[in-house]
Amino acid sequence: MSDIPTYTESFDELQNIVSEIEQGEISVDELSAKVKRAASLIAICKRKLTSTEEDVDRILKELETPSNENIAEQNGS
Amino acid sequence: MFVRCFFMKESIILPFIENTALTCARLSKILKMPEIVNDKTVFTLLEVTKSIQKTLAERYKSAYWVKAEMNKLNYYSHSGHCYPELVEKANGKVIAQIKSILWKDDFINVNNNFLNVLKEPLKDGIKILFLAKISFDPAYGLSLRIIDIDPSFTLGDLEKEKQETIKRLKSEGIFNRNKLLQIPMLPKRIAIISVETSKGYADFLKVLDTNSWNYKFFHLLFPSLLQGDRATVSIKNQLKRIKKVREHFDVVAIIRGGGGDIGLSCYNNYELAREIALFPIPVITGIGHVTNETVVEMISFSNAITPTKIAEYLLQKFHNFSVPVQKAEEKIRDKSSRLISDEKTKFNSEIKLFRSVTENILIGNRNQIKENINSLVQQTTFRFKNEKEYLRTFRDEIKRGTLIFGTSEKLKITRFALIMKKDVIFQINQAKLALNNTEKNIENMSPKSVLKRGYSITMSNGKAIKNTENLKEGDVLETIVFEGRIFSLVKSTKNT
Repeated sequence: MSDIPTYTESFDELQNIVSEIEQGEISVDELSAKVKRAASLIAICKRKLTSTEEDVDRILKELETPSNENIAEQNGS
Repeated sequence: MFVRCFFMKESIILPFIENTALTCARLSKILKMPEIVNDKTVFTLLEVTKSIQKTLAERYKSAYWVKAEMNKLNYYSHSGHCYPELVEKANGKVIAQIKSILWKDDFINVNNNFLNVLKEPLKDGIKILFLAKISFDPAYGLSLRIIDIDPSFTLGDLEKEKQETIKRLKSEGIFNRNKLLQIPMLPKRIAIISVETSKGYADFLKVLDTNSWNYKFFHLLFPSLLQGDRATVSIKNQLKRIKKVREHFDVVAIIRGGGGDIGLSCYNNYELAREIALFPIPVITGIGHVTNETVVEMISFSNAITPTKIAEYLLQKFHNFSVPVQKAEEKIRDKSSRLISDEKTKFNSEIKLFRSVTENILIGNRNQIKENINSLVQQTTFRFKNEKEYLRTFRDEIKRGTLIFGTSEKLKITRFALIMKKDVIFQINQAKLALNNTEKNIENMSPKSVLKRGYSITMSNGKAIKNTENLKEGDVLETIVFEGRIFSLVKSTKNT
């Protein structure tokens, strides 16, 4: 797992914090840290909704290079 | 290769066919009886073919319904005619085949029928039941001239192919394979198989890219034919390309739209359906039609009637993610502020309690102090009064004592004074007596008495002279005698 959580992880962790808070499992001492964490998770999730990191040029380049599968096919025929 | 070859053949044959009538007339003019060459009756090719033509025409007068597989339609857009390749197979082997002709007008009629009944144009690789005349032309050879084709026969056959595909996929256990894949929570990277200029593609992108929630999708078009026979291969090729870069995509969307309900039987093709069923990422379809569902749509991860609906399906996935995030934000804000305010209330009530407790203690202490003051004042006043009383009694006693003492002392003093007076008088009298005696003695020793007895006192310069010292000749001496004074001059001195 990288340092930056995936949005699925972020989403799950966020839901956990919400249920913890809802069930009153969080003390005032932890609250600040938890809320701070939740805020950053929300930011990650929102960013995922409104941004994309894919690069068309890279994909096109990968399409041009023959994949292992193709090489195998060529060798086989 | 085959097509090009045929095309060349057509260009040669066609003018010939079109002029057949004319050619035949011209030939008949010069037709003679068979030649006899070296005792052999020799026919020209034309004579033979003409004979065959005549025989066949007499033998096969009517038209016949024939069923066969149409391997190739061989439609020539230039002329509008078709030259279908008809075969019959048994166990995969061709056991009969014949050329055929479908003239332009007949083709148009048949094709329209097909489009109406099958929602498919006349195409390669279908089974047909057709009405044909057997025709033989000396120049063109044997062929079946197709007059009509029954679309309902082909329809049944296509339906059979579809059921066949379904059965095969099910028996291989892959019918639900794509449906069982996990679609990411945010299917945001979409490989689109579509036609760039199609309305369906435009609709799809419009809904995705202009959504009012600002959700961002990444999509890349893998252009492909989407209907007709060649679509099968075209779509499969693009799927193969997508597979190569599948790490970049969450989902494949096959989008068609605006093409009517025509040419969709390719989506019942086993090879294509299998490819989609086994595709490693979810394939969603929006083929855009209303009549019965194709196999590809059945086995795809998710199917929508229109491309717009597919886009909405993807947006819904985003909502399913976004709404809980939004809710989480609100809940965390609400709950945490409530938690803080609860704590604050608790704290405040603690403070209140503390204040009231301490105030009570203070009031208690203050009251006690006040009581102590009061009692101190009372005690002190009482004590002072007592002491004063005591002092007064004491003073009175002193006064009385002093008075008694004074009176007794006075008496003593008076008595003492009386005694002293008596003593003093006695003493004085004693002293007086002594003094008188002394006076008598002193009188006896006085210079006058001495002088009376004849002694004198010589003085120089007021001082009595006791020796000769300091006396010189001529000094005046004064000599006192009992009665008077004598003044004399010194003649000489002589020490004794």
